[in-house]
Amino acid sequence: MSEIFTIMEYAFFRNAMAAAVLTSILAAMVGTYIVSRKIVFISGGITHASFGGIGMAYFFGLNPLLGAAVFAVLSATGIEWVSQKGKVREDSAIAILWSLGMALGIIFVFMTPGYTPNLMSFLFGSILSVGRAELYMLLAFCLLAGVFFWLYLRPVVHTAFDPEFSKIMGLPVGFFRYTMSVIIALAIVISIRSVGIILVLSLFTIPQITAMLFTRNFAKIIPLAALFGVVGSLAGLFSSYFFDIPSGAAIIFFLTLQFLLVKGLVMLLEYVHRNHS
Amino acid sequence: MSKPLVKLSGVSTGYFSETVLRNVNLEIHAKDFIGIIGPNGGGKTTLVKAILGILPLFKGRITFPQGKVRMGYLPQISAIDKSFPITVKELIGSGLKAKNSWFPQLTREQKKQVSNLIAEAGLSGQAHKPIGELSGGQIQKAFLSRALINEPQLLILDEPNTFVDKGFEKELYQWLRVLNEQMAILLVSHDIGTITPLVKTIACVNVDLHYHPSNQLTEDLLKVYNCPVDIIAHGPVPHRVLKEHGL
Repeated sequence: MSEIFTIMEYAFFRNAMAAAVLTSILAAMVGTYIVSRKIVFISGGITHASFGGIGMAYFFGLNPLLGAAVFAVLSATGIEWVSQKGKVREDSAIAILWSLGMALGIIFVFMTPGYTPNLMSFLFGSILSVGRAELYMLLAFCLLAGVFFWLYLRPVVHTAFDPEFSKIMGLPVGFFRYTMSVIIALAIVISIRSVGIILVLSLFTIPQITAMLFTRNFAKIIPLAALFGVVGSLAGLFSSYFFDIPSGAAIIFFLTLQFLLVKGLVMLLEYVHRNHS
Repeated sequence: MSKPLVKLSGVSTGYFSETVLRNVNLEIHAKDFIGIIGPNGGGKTTLVKAILGILPLFKGRITFPQGKVRMGYLPQISAIDKSFPITVKELIGSGLKAKNSWFPQLTREQKKQVSNLIAEAGLSGQAHKPIGELSGGQIQKAFLSRALINEPQLLILDEPNTFVDKGFEKELYQWLRVLNEQMAILLVSHDIGTITPLVKTIACVNVDLHYHPSNQLTEDLLKVYNCPVDIIAHGPVPHRVLKEHGL
């Protein structure tokens, strides 16, 4: 126990804990939208496409996260456009974007002279090296997304559920769908620092499906998913430190373990309840 | 005759560049009850979407001679994602416009309006349940309540009798009869046999629209109208449609 307090004295660990909490809250809001609209595959496409931006940014000597953000936003709005116009098969468009992004990333990183030390941290995440500036950026975006959800949850849910009826009701369906695409893209890119491109999507889906074991009310899924996200992420973070394993992988492992435990518990309670009534 | 609520003049529309409906003329008056029939892919839903204003017109125009018309819409339930986490209360509330678009929440009166309609529809026990936990009939009731919450002048229903049990179907038709005393109804159905005794007039849609100013239609007329729909005869003579159908 004393060891836990000892590591919390380190600024880098406190930063990592704050990043885990903020990322979980952000992922809870955005992930609930992703899971409800069943656009997990689209989000996977956006995530992997962003690697192209990271590669290009390395090549041109720019901030890799900026490159990732530009690629992610362009892919997200592009996919939304394709899905609204319906002229190309949406799943094929996503697959193309997914692999093209990865291919561009690899090509540009390969062409960049010298060694690219942070590349692995983008693929697998590096929450223990999150700095103060990144933390502020995460906090700012989290607050922005929070205010947007607080004000506009109703039209966000309605346009996600039934865009056609929302259009009849006079809601600006395009505005909300595109705005959510941009929020998804930026939330994913910001979370890449913590858990990496390959694992980030789990943070946007596992806590949500765990929460959905208890409620099917959009507004109630968000706080519950945030709670499961925070618990799983912190458990992963501490284990990664004590067992010296990669943090991103440990977080996802604990989120999945938590889901299985909760699912098992719910099934057990249902079984007991059935047999007693 | 009073001015129509909605008037379609020479309307052609469809998806992308494909024309699904061609040169359609139709007038919908207050308290009309029009059955829209036609083969699959003939343009029934396209017609509905054009009237609702969510499909651009290639040609012609749709006007509202009495001014803006409040419309209620019940979509095909098969097109709805029933696993989406939305409760019955939220769903019905989504049929109301928020008064303040910068902070689009329902007012206390609007929330009361939702609660009242939930009680009227007999869904009080289901108000906080997600729609995925409802039976076919309850889902239809919830969606119909969403269509009715803003007290429409024109109610449009797209295949309301699919996925519901016979018991609820009967209840639904009784509701529609009562509702028709207050509003015009446009009812799309593939089951011509079931709807004919209910509706006042029929429109056959198969790219073109042929308006039939009564609810009695024969197979021969359907041929003239180029409207190949299966006739499930409920009357005593198999080739005559459908005078003696009891609901």
